[in-house]
Amino acid sequence: MSTVTTTSIPKEAAAEKNAGMHKMIGWILHNVVWIWLVALVIGFGMFNEFFLTVLNMQNITVQATVLGMLGLAVALPLLVAEIDLSIPANLGFSSAIGALAYSDLGMPWFLAMLVGVGVATLVGFFNGLCITKLRMVSLIQTLSMMIILQGALLALTQGKTLTNLSDGYVWIGQATTLGGWPLMPLILVIALAVVGIMLRMTILGRSIYAVGGNPLASNSAGIRVNRIKIITYTIAGFLAGVAGFLLASWQMAITSNQGSSYLLYAIAAPIIGGVSVFGGRGNVVGILGGVLLLTVIQVGLAITNVPSFYVGMIGGFMIFIAVAIDAIRVRYFA
Amino acid sequence: MRVETTKHRTMGAAASTAPDAEFVLRVENVSKVYGLFYALRSVSLNIRRSSIHGLLGENGAGKSTLVGIISGQRAPSSGAIYLDGINVADADVRAMEQAGVFLVTQEPMIIDHMSAAENLMLGIWPAKGGFVRWSKLKADAARMLKDSGIDPDINAGRLNAVARRKLNILRAMFSGGKVIILDEPTAALTVPDRRQLFDFMRQLKNDGVTFIFISHYNDEILEICDAVSVLRDGSLAGGSEDIGSMTSAQLSELVLGRGLVLFQRERRSFEAEPVAVSLHNVVADDVDLDRLDIRKGEIVGFTGLPGAGAKELAKAIFGLNRSRSGSISFEGKAGQGLPNHPQAAFDNGIAYLSDDRRRDGVVGHLSIAENIALSSLQRRALFGFIQRGEEANLCDGYFSSMGIKAPNAAAVVNTLSGGNQQKVCLGRVLATEPRLLILDEPTRGIDVGVKQDVLRIIDALSKTGVSVIIVSTDTDELVRSVDRVCVFRNGAIYETLTGDDITTESLRRLAQV
Ligand SMILES: Nc1ncnc2c1ncn2[C@@H]1O[C@H](COP(=O)(O)OP(=O)(O)OP(=O)(O)O)[C@@H](O)[C@H]1O
Ligand SMILES: [Mg+2]
Repeated sequence: MSTVTTTSIPKEAAAEKNAGMHKMIGWILHNVVWIWLVALVIGFGMFNEFFLTVLNMQNITVQATVLGMLGLAVALPLLVAEIDLSIPANLGFSSAIGALAYSDLGMPWFLAMLVGVGVATLVGFFNGLCITKLRMVSLIQTLSMMIILQGALLALTQGKTLTNLSDGYVWIGQATTLGGWPLMPLILVIALAVVGIMLRMTILGRSIYAVGGNPLASNSAGIRVNRIKIITYTIAGFLAGVAGFLLASWQMAITSNQGSSYLLYAIAAPIIGGVSVFGGRGNVVGILGGVLLLTVIQVGLAITNVPSFYVGMIGGFMIFIAVAIDAIRVRYFA
Repeated sequence: MRVETTKHRTMGAAASTAPDAEFVLRVENVSKVYGLFYALRSVSLNIRRSSIHGLLGENGAGKSTLVGIISGQRAPSSGAIYLDGINVADADVRAMEQAGVFLVTQEPMIIDHMSAAENLMLGIWPAKGGFVRWSKLKADAARMLKDSGIDPDINAGRLNAVARRKLNILRAMFSGGKVIILDEPTAALTVPDRRQLFDFMRQLKNDGVTFIFISHYNDEILEICDAVSVLRDGSLAGGSEDIGSMTSAQLSELVLGRGLVLFQRERRSFEAEPVAVSLHNVVADDVDLDRLDIRKGEIVGFTGLPGAGAKELAKAIFGLNRSRSGSISFEGKAGQGLPNHPQAAFDNGIAYLSDDRRRDGVVGHLSIAENIALSSLQRRALFGFIQRGEEANLCDGYFSSMGIKAPNAAAVVNTLSGGNQQKVCLGRVLATEPRLLILDEPTRGIDVGVKQDVLRIIDALSKTGVSVIIVSTDTDELVRSVDRVCVFRNGAIYETLTGDDITTESLRRLAQV
């Protein structure tokens, strides 16, 4: 044993100044969506003073409501490492069902609206069943569901725009509260709060994060993985239904391709807000950030005098930058 | 007094021809910092050409971090690594593999939807003009897998933990590399597998290959290593060039910095105790069991070769393997079907610890606390809301009683060392307060010191009336911790040992492990 040696632990020279710096950069990158949002608001405000008016802010919150509900809906399946592409199509289809139940079946508007939301919820539930029990691949299953629902909407409306909506039905989309602030965004606030509390404080929420992170370990830990997935799809369907009601109520009309234009933005918003497409990561604050960012870009480009031919491209670049910064964060600071 | 490594440190890379003839790999002042935490503090060591160099240390000492840096998987925060005199500190995995350094990681790296053959050849596919030569790949794979009992065409996702591990080892062994690093390769291997691996290593060593070998098993270190280095809390704490003269106890002392008292359960007969769980006519994949009674407070060992039924029965009792028939009854009550899902098992007071923690043990991106609470959320909730305070108490309790090494219980499990992740898993199953605890290789990857602690915890738990099944191929562990051993063959209990009949020799002979 003569060669056994021991060494004293070397004293470490403090290189901890660097660590503070590292922390700060990490914080900035962590909140990049919000910082980017503030920067854009100030930027657009400098280009066009109308942007910073109360009226425009109210407009932005209304615009963000439907996108926010959809973003929330898309985020839930993403959190369990699945996806639902049929959500915007579900929005259009279910709102048309609700509207027709009122206009053609003569139901009271409130009941008709509930029927619409109920149908949307059922569609979500059905998607969940297909993906878990039949083990269909969610990307393709929900893609086909999207096409089916878009087609069904076209068939229901016969290509026309539905405008026969009751006064009660369109009330929420038009109502204002103190100072002219619209009422509709309150629904989004409530939805964000409820989903946020669900994710943070309930067993269901914890199970969703666990399933998204490691389904096998979750199963061994006693979580019914399939059940959790079905629940997330069902909630997503419900949110899509509510979003459908809100959109129709706000626009006072249901077109034959209602909701389709939201598809990419509804998927981009939660991802920009930090919801991982690999599951298990993300929160409602991030989703809200992503939604507001996209809305500000849209509204801002519309009211600053950017020639319309460039709007799409510039908007795309802005989203690209947000996503790229986020990728850098994940690479170096996760 | 310093380890021999200091000698050449003052020489620059250019003038380093003399030590490089002797040492194939030289690590100089390597540090690795995560945030404010030093996983490694200026570690220096030299690896002699065609030797087997043991790397020892407690859980979280920095072994995996160090070999991760050597193999190019992680970048060092500072320091240099010389491979044949060339500084390779900045090289990535691919560059290092091309330079001849291969790492078999602590957790099996397997792509589930590829075949065993493809996994074996991952990244070293025989190719011609950018096209994979499938026939050659198949032939090579078949040759490499000949003695392993693994079907080259099988989907790797269907392989068990042992086979997955073997695939990774074989890939490195046949790589033609000159430095092969094995991070806890023998965890969960059977004795014949281990024998085969060691013979293979010796043979390659004679051909000039150098090994870095990480293990928590002293007997393995003493058997195969030529020299050892010991890490403690990220620093080099010592080493030995002459381990032939060392005993296991001395090795433990070198690792822990203190003497080690080995745990031994006081075995006794449970004939007189009430039956806690009894199993009848259980038929499932690889299982065909007549009857088994486990008594209150008894610790029963299950052992046998993979596929012999020990692991498979454990999984069937927990509802992870569907059973085709069979019944389970608790405390003499009427029998019921075996659980069809782990949740049903937990509800019946059955808890299970998996032998493959990365696969189905931990949820890596969640915190330690969230993992510990994961299986017992239901009972600690009010209307579906998690009781934060209770959860925190529970987790802090297990965090400290298991001695998990991390800044706090909010640390993300992925950042823990392998052994510490194992402790998190154990904490999670214990937190369900089961009446039947099934542990599949519970001390896999746990260091010698903590291993005794774990065996002590299980022992204490059994004294509170919990019945325990320990599935293990580690005969020494069984001898130290159980009252009765069931040896499995062909899905059934082939022989049961009790009392003084439980010895390492008898177990090895009967179980063929
Ligand atoms: N990405 C990371 N972030 C923060 N800490 C980390 C990270 N990776 C490793 N660590 C820490 O570095 C230390 C060394 O870990 P390492 O995996 O090297 O230990 P080990 O010696 O291999 O232990 P074991 O025997 O349990 O496998 C641990 O305390 C671990 O928590
Ligand atoms: Mg390790």
